[in-house]
Amino acid sequence: MTKARLTPLTRRLLATALPTAVALVPAGAGLADPMIGTVTNRYGLPGAIDTPSAEMTPDATLGAVLGYSALGNTAGLSFQILPRVTGVLRYGKFDSTEEERGYVRDRSFDIRVSLLDESPDGWRPAVAVGLQDAIGTGFYASEYVVATKTLSPRLRVSAGLGWGRLASSGGIGSLIDDRGAPDDEEGGTLNTDQWFRGEAAPFLNIQWKATDKLTLLAEYSGDDYACETGDADSCPRDVWLSDEEPLSTNINVGLSYQAGQNYQIGAYVLGGKHFGIQASMTLNPRQAPFPSGLEKGPAPVRLRPAVAADPDGWSGAWAQDPTAQPAIQQALGDALRKEGQVLESMVLTANRAEVRIRNNRYVQQAEAVGRTARLMTRALPPSVETLVVTSVEGGMPVSSVTMRRSDVERLENTEVGQIASVAALTDADPRPAGLVRSPDVTPRFQWGLRPYLSTGLFDPDEPFRFEVGAAATASYELLPGLTLKGTVRQRLFGNAEQDAPGDFTVDEYLALTDEEIAAENNGVYRVRSDGRMYSGNDKPRVPELTLAWNAHPTSTVYTRVTVGLLENMYGGVSGEVLWKPVNSPLALGAEINRVRKRDYTDAFEFLDYEVTTGHVSAYYEFGGGFVGQLDVGRYLAGDDGATVTLTREFASGWSVGAYATKTNLSAEEYGEGSFDKGIEIKIPLAWATGMPSKRTVGGSLSSLNRDGGRRVRVDDRLYETVRDSHSTKMYEGWGKFWR
Amino acid sequence: MNRPMLKLASALAVMAVVAGCASRNNINEDEPSASPFGIARAALGQVVAQRQQAQAASAPARSPQDMAAAALAANPGPLIMVGLEQSGTTQVMAMTGQNGGMRTYMTPNEQAVIMRGFMLTGTRGLGHDLSVAEAAPSAALIQAGRSGTARRLMRYYSGDGLERPIDFTCRIGPGPNAGVMVEDCEGHGLSFQNSYLPSAGVSRQWIGPGLGYATIQVLRD
Repeated sequence: MTKARLTPLTRRLLATALPTAVALVPAGAGLADPMIGTVTNRYGLPGAIDTPSAEMTPDATLGAVLGYSALGNTAGLSFQILPRVTGVLRYGKFDSTEEERGYVRDRSFDIRVSLLDESPDGWRPAVAVGLQDAIGTGFYASEYVVATKTLSPRLRVSAGLGWGRLASSGGIGSLIDDRGAPDDEEGGTLNTDQWFRGEAAPFLNIQWKATDKLTLLAEYSGDDYACETGDADSCPRDVWLSDEEPLSTNINVGLSYQAGQNYQIGAYVLGGKHFGIQASMTLNPRQAPFPSGLEKGPAPVRLRPAVAADPDGWSGAWAQDPTAQPAIQQALGDALRKEGQVLESMVLTANRAEVRIRNNRYVQQAEAVGRTARLMTRALPPSVETLVVTSVEGGMPVSSVTMRRSDVERLENTEVGQIASVAALTDADPRPAGLVRSPDVTPRFQWGLRPYLSTGLFDPDEPFRFEVGAAATASYELLPGLTLKGTVRQRLFGNAEQDAPGDFTVDEYLALTDEEIAAENNGVYRVRSDGRMYSGNDKPRVPELTLAWNAHPTSTVYTRVTVGLLENMYGGVSGEVLWKPVNSPLALGAEINRVRKRDYTDAFEFLDYEVTTGHVSAYYEFGGGFVGQLDVGRYLAGDDGATVTLTREFASGWSVGAYATKTNLSAEEYGEGSFDKGIEIKIPLAWATGMPSKRTVGGSLSSLNRDGGRRVRVDDRLYETVRDSHSTKMYEGWGKFWR
Repeated sequence: MNRPMLKLASALAVMAVVAGCASRNNINEDEPSASPFGIARAALGQVVAQRQQAQAASAPARSPQDMAAAALAANPGPLIMVGLEQSGTTQVMAMTGQNGGMRTYMTPNEQAVIMRGFMLTGTRGLGHDLSVAEAAPSAALIQAGRSGTARRLMRYYSGDGLERPIDFTCRIGPGPNAGVMVEDCEGHGLSFQNSYLPSAGVSRQWIGPGLGYATIQVLRD
């Protein structure tokens, strides 16, 4: 490719393709990369036992850690947000003699930023700075600056200065004297008045790789576990005190064993007294077990015969034959079905063919488009030179890729930038002339029956609740875009029982009026926090039953109306409109919902609470896989406010996002946590198994199940529906065009 | 791990193997699972998939001669036999497409290799596929039986859905046996050595870090 032909698009494709060695070459560590750690510490980040290091995990790594010791248990989820920024969300439990139930459950969030890379030959170590338990109650609150140096391939040493918990003993003085007291109110806000304040203490740790799998750890830590061991003078809050035996030294020792590529187990002794164990797991969206997928090879391009061999085909005379299009459409539809796609409709003239496909199989829409283009070369008469593949999502045509057939023939199985530079991605024409719908595409009935597992996590009283049962799902698409769908669930067993919020029994709670419910909840009606009232139901439950109508009135505007039982807790009407030109990074939308709260047990009954919610939304693709969303409007409790969401997504279909909602409820009205926030993770099954599928697993973890800033959960919101086939995602996955 | 967690893990293992039944076009194909433990299930699926692959690789096969004879009798078109050294499998592949000098060959279960002349330029459906090898300069030297140096670019599908290139510098020269040409390539800390006997339609070519070497024999051109 010559320089003059480098369009912004091909530059983008080339840019994404450059860091090859990172993904494919096993150990070629680039010099500019941050230092990568192999041992996960008690807090879920690279380090030794209690103390941190300046190490990071490989970019985009998702990690999980489970730890157990007499001084506290933890479950943590970490994510390498950027190559130099890593964070962890932890959920812990520690004993307290001051609490009636004998323990405290606590959530905390840490962040670490890599500032300097190690110079491989010189003296300079890697340097990082971190905040531990930076939001909320601050039981583990600590800040640190740490330097790590690789002394030999088997030996790494880290040393640093810690504040807060890491300086609970062995302090050597302070920069700023007055460290703020822990937040003993609602929590959930940044504890900036504590950061790097008060006494500082040094720490040191050594990681020695005894074998390729076994790493031995030793550290000097300033954390003497004052609260856990009943040292009331050094513990910042009385309610955290417990009565474990004091540590006899500041030295901790331990080991970490790499049990497999993605798994680690570890054990340690804290201060010569307390034994602990942990297990951790890492997953990286870039390292799939089958990077190219195991789906079958595509049907190859078929070249057109010479003009002399097929003069009728080349002349376009066939287009006059009324039987030609049905036969071609049937053959192409059959071929597409074998590749997991539905040919919804088609426009065919003597020299141009447009096919409208619904891709049910491939995570990357470009793979579906590439396969369709090749099948078109096999099915269409030779006079057809312009090939248009229009992607249909939710019954709406959302984008068109236009190619010259001779380019598809010429460029088959070449570098993907070449076909990208000659293919045009445009908005789909909502109503093209001559569109012929394939017979038996609609009405279409589909059903499924499968077991389900629903889980509830992070409840202070019962950390893990679950329910297992059978779920039947059915959908009936009456016309393209008009779909009736529903689910029925029957619980079989589980420990998730019906439970009322606060100190009420179920019967007491049912007897309350809406006003009374609000009165005992700081004046806010319980729109979500009584969610467990919907659990433990032995009757069949209908989590959703909706009629949805999607439409595409102009080439850049999409609309949706959904009526029915929208979700487990609310039913009503939801309307949405979205403006999203195919090549625009910006999208604007609005949604309005009139909903009523559903009965706790009867699937088709409603409670009295009724509310209108609505949002205007702006979505923006920042590039590099980052997508931002801002929603401003009214939430379920009638509160007004805004939600900010930032998501990092990968071409493989992974996404990890975080959101925060602040409304005009005060922190007191909102209650513990002060405002709503959480994370959302999606992992495509195809990534894990290699088998082609658009299914994803994952879910959202909101830090607390409160009532402020909550929304109705409506399925198939437009932005997610149209985006797979719009420019950012289409080109992110363009590498699979010839797959 | 405490007891409920262990129970959970075994429950998940059971769930993963109990495949729910569904209509032909599965309606849940793009529906996210509601459970955060689906992540654990994804990890489990990863292990299961690797196991299955390992088992498939160790399944006993008919002898290559039998397979070749049966295929030649059943199929009138061009055929090649491809062996993957790393997994120890050998398959006969039939030509399913021809586009200029490029031919696509497929196994009955539609795994494909793409050849430009005697040069392997791509694979499809093997899990660690080579998207495209740009090796025309090497091919020209080998074809002409000349020694020289050439650049070879191998593009792979990476786990994050992109196509990623690795470039190699290759030395081409005659091998130890008459007619055999050897291509010695190095790049990004990787190296491989391909050998070709174009006159006999036989070659041993490296596909990539995930698949290793393939031996290719033309049964009928």
